[in-house]
Amino acid sequence: MRNSKTEYMIPEKAPELQQGPEWLKKQRRQQRETFNSLPLPQRGLQLWRYTDPARFVFERISDDIAVNGRFEAAKTVEQKHLRNGRLTGLITDVAGREITAHGFEEITAGGGQVSSLATAVETHFALVEPYLYSLVNAQTGKFEAMNGALWHDGIFLYIPDNLAIEKPIHLLRQAGGPGSAAFPRLLVVAGKNAEVTLIDEYGGGPADDTNGAAYSNAAVEIMAQDDSRVRYISLQRQTAGTRFYLTHRARIGRGAQMLTVPLAFGGALSKQNFGVILDGPGADSRMYGLLFGSRHQHFDNHTLHHHAAGQTYSNINFKVVLRDRALSAYTGLIRIDRAAPGCEAYQENRNLLLNDGTRAETIPELEILNEDVSCSHGATLGPIDPLLTFYLGSRGIPGPEAVRMIVGGFVADTLKLVPEDIRERISGFVDERLEAL
Amino acid sequence: MSEFKRVASTGEIPLDEMRDFEVGPYRIVIAHTDDGFFAVADECSHDAAPISDGEIDGCDVVCMRHGARFDLKTGAVKAPPAIVPIDAYELKVDGDNILVRIED
Amino acid sequence: MADAVNKQKQDLSSLNEDYASRYGFRDPVDYFHKGAKGINHEVVEMISRMKKEPRWMTEVRHQALDVFLSKPTPRWGNTELLGEIDYDDIYYFMKPIENQQASWDDVPEYIKKTFDRLGIPEAEQKFLGGVSAQYESEVVYHSMQEDLKKQGIIFLDMDSGLREHPDIVRKFFGTVIPATDNKYAALNTSVWSGGSFIYVPPGVEVRAPLQAYFRINAENMGQFERTLIIADKGSRVHYIEGCTAPVYSTDSLHSAVVELIALEGAYIRYTTIQNWSRNIYNLVTKRSTAHKNATVEWVDGNLGSRLTMKYPCIQLVGEGARGEILSVALAGKDQHQDAGAKVIHAAPNTSSRITSKSISKDNGRATYRGLAKVHKNAANCRISVECDALLIGEQARSDTYPTMEIDNDRVRVEHEARVSKVAEEQLFYLRSRGLSEDEARLLIVNGFMEPFTKELPLEYAVELNRLIALEMEGSVG
Repeated sequence: MRNSKTEYMIPEKAPELQQGPEWLKKQRRQQRETFNSLPLPQRGLQLWRYTDPARFVFERISDDIAVNGRFEAAKTVEQKHLRNGRLTGLITDVAGREITAHGFEEITAGGGQVSSLATAVETHFALVEPYLYSLVNAQTGKFEAMNGALWHDGIFLYIPDNLAIEKPIHLLRQAGGPGSAAFPRLLVVAGKNAEVTLIDEYGGGPADDTNGAAYSNAAVEIMAQDDSRVRYISLQRQTAGTRFYLTHRARIGRGAQMLTVPLAFGGALSKQNFGVILDGPGADSRMYGLLFGSRHQHFDNHTLHHHAAGQTYSNINFKVVLRDRALSAYTGLIRIDRAAPGCEAYQENRNLLLNDGTRAETIPELEILNEDVSCSHGATLGPIDPLLTFYLGSRGIPGPEAVRMIVGGFVADTLKLVPEDIRERISGFVDERLEAL
Repeated sequence: MSEFKRVASTGEIPLDEMRDFEVGPYRIVIAHTDDGFFAVADECSHDAAPISDGEIDGCDVVCMRHGARFDLKTGAVKAPPAIVPIDAYELKVDGDNILVRIED
Repeated sequence: MADAVNKQKQDLSSLNEDYASRYGFRDPVDYFHKGAKGINHEVVEMISRMKKEPRWMTEVRHQALDVFLSKPTPRWGNTELLGEIDYDDIYYFMKPIENQQASWDDVPEYIKKTFDRLGIPEAEQKFLGGVSAQYESEVVYHSMQEDLKKQGIIFLDMDSGLREHPDIVRKFFGTVIPATDNKYAALNTSVWSGGSFIYVPPGVEVRAPLQAYFRINAENMGQFERTLIIADKGSRVHYIEGCTAPVYSTDSLHSAVVELIALEGAYIRYTTIQNWSRNIYNLVTKRSTAHKNATVEWVDGNLGSRLTMKYPCIQLVGEGARGEILSVALAGKDQHQDAGAKVIHAAPNTSSRITSKSISKDNGRATYRGLAKVHKNAANCRISVECDALLIGEQARSDTYPTMEIDNDRVRVEHEARVSKVAEEQLFYLRSRGLSEDEARLLIVNGFMEPFTKELPLEYAVELNRLIALEMEGSVG
């Protein structure tokens, strides 16, 4: 018999259910109903094969969202970047509750919108209502319904047609305190031929879970309209006292290009689901992901590339490095619809296991319903080539440093695929993580 | 050598039943048999099903998914389709407390 | 759940007295001649009595039936087709005497056409069409048996194997695939009939491939065959199941179980060409255990049936064991070949290779489902998986669902899959050489299948090529 808390119902009196205009309240109620009526996904099957869904069920014990020193330090760094003109804007998000925006004159001057989602649902109905919940909602799953009902405040970004924003926007999100639950939510609408780059950073959290873990259940929806160019870097580097759940969906329109860089570095338990729908001819998606796991970290990642229109292109390259007792599970599905001829889809997943005791599972899946396709995938799993360590050792490079060099080399060709203007920042995040590997 | 950690109280687990627990990053199951309490990993080596959803038969546990059978004392395989044992952990009872030691 | 298991325990404890006393007075031959559809403990008891089996096997059958009844239909795979199976509307052993022989008129046209094109002699046609009860090749069968006996090799149908070598059977039966494994293994364990029993003594090499084709009759062919092959230390055997010619059967549910055990240093190769008629649901469990330094090879061809679900598996449990699985699937009109391969490494210094090739045409669907699992104790192992899928036509579909679970860092695991249509450039080149579009396509398809065809004994390879030609012409199904 199971001991775990598998029964949790969203109470009728949850304060978030009363937030927002009537249309939003109605949505929240529906999401709550779905959450309460759906059973927990069965453990050990399909997307939950390697992660016990019960570990994401929790009761909110505390509303502790005290801003901690690390968050302040990170904020200071980014504010400096903003002042030095390296960022278009900075948004800070404390535990999905307090949203503050800094900068963004370029966007607002150009007719765009940057605001808290709670504000935008009132002030920008026409831009928000058609898109909010369109990609991540109760139909997606039980945990998505939870975010849909309980998100407190989120972030809304609108880049109007033809506006090209060169410098990145940085979203700095902090997890809550022990026993807390945060429901970050992001909605991005990039208009026709618009251009924008986002760095979405999830950080913070308690040092460990002795007083209870800090949960985050996040949802991201991105509409990349025709011919737009969107670049989205997802940096997850929460502390060892957190459990992180994310569902990310992007719709890529005709001729639009999306670059997604998922960097999974933190959290004790992290389940992230990135999906793109290629919805018009010429839609193009590139996804370059990196995952570093150490100690007892448990990562569970999914990607979905759904080619709903012909003449579309997708390429996913996902690299995993594990040490100590870390675990990485990866399921990636490429689906080519019957009505989608002339597509190209490629997937590669390479796993580097640095010692005995690591566990890696990979399930790259294909569902191809149109013969006019060029599709392939590959996966490899294995340790560092012992010859390589020997060679570096003979050159006087000590063990740990050699490992870092080799791992750096392993991820180097992924980094090369990232456009030059953001490569340095991303390499910076990677180096920081490698130091702690 | 790691420490013994208190995981449960003897009263929590009726005879011929088992309960699952999280001990740090580990998922374990403690079973109450005629021969006492035993702790094993809560994951079947055959197809990752939760052992705690299965059935106790004497001092064996039978996995509910495909019928694999393990010896609760040692984790050894007693019947297919499992072919590899599951981890068994040192357990001691101190008064009302059940303590388990997991080697990292 | 606990209640169901307790009840099961109670039922089983009174099993022996219960069924034996209840049905002791019945004559099984009579029972079946009147026709018994559906499955229950009565049918199972009668089957066992009909075969005059030792009591322990009867109990195994009864227990397996309870498992079958308690398991739901799988919620994965082609659930639509699986949901169509009506378990109560099937004859699980013999058909009533009136139904036993089909008429030649009932055999579908596409099957008759294939027979003609493959040049199958008339007597054989009648057998394959289910019209004649026995294939007239007793002579071949008996001379083969003489040779085998001299070497101490046992090659019998499973019923005879149980009767003449109960100790060997009891030792190995169900040790690789228990009844609890899945619903269809449970079904097979309760109503199995026919199949092959092979035991090869230590150090013996069986010179020619063993084939069941020549000695089976309609009664034993197909539905619920149970095969058990044991290759003792250092021995070698190659077994061939099925044939390329289509086999017509009105029994719509086929569920075979094949268990292979390769003891230390032994070698077993198991070749299957499955070409059941297009009305059949073929749900098979095939698994092998390779001990220290042993090798198991599955060569698995899936051409027929409406739906086949089959994932030959090799469990490498001894150091130095090796495995290879070569799987080919051709999914034509209305067909779903849901095939694959599983390799489980549970010992160090083991290696395996999986090659899967599939062709989908018309509205056929070919699915690859695979597992490459490395347990904690399996250091220094190598696994290579390659899946190639060819799509022909707008309606075709291909799926690939490979799972890799790696719990040891000292491994080299590589997986690659490709899906494409027949390459325009290749077609263009061949046509510029004077071939028609059909001829060019056929050549490309044959080239695609070549890694599989070259592993078959010659007469099979020749027949397979003819069959592919027929399929590509569109003159079948």
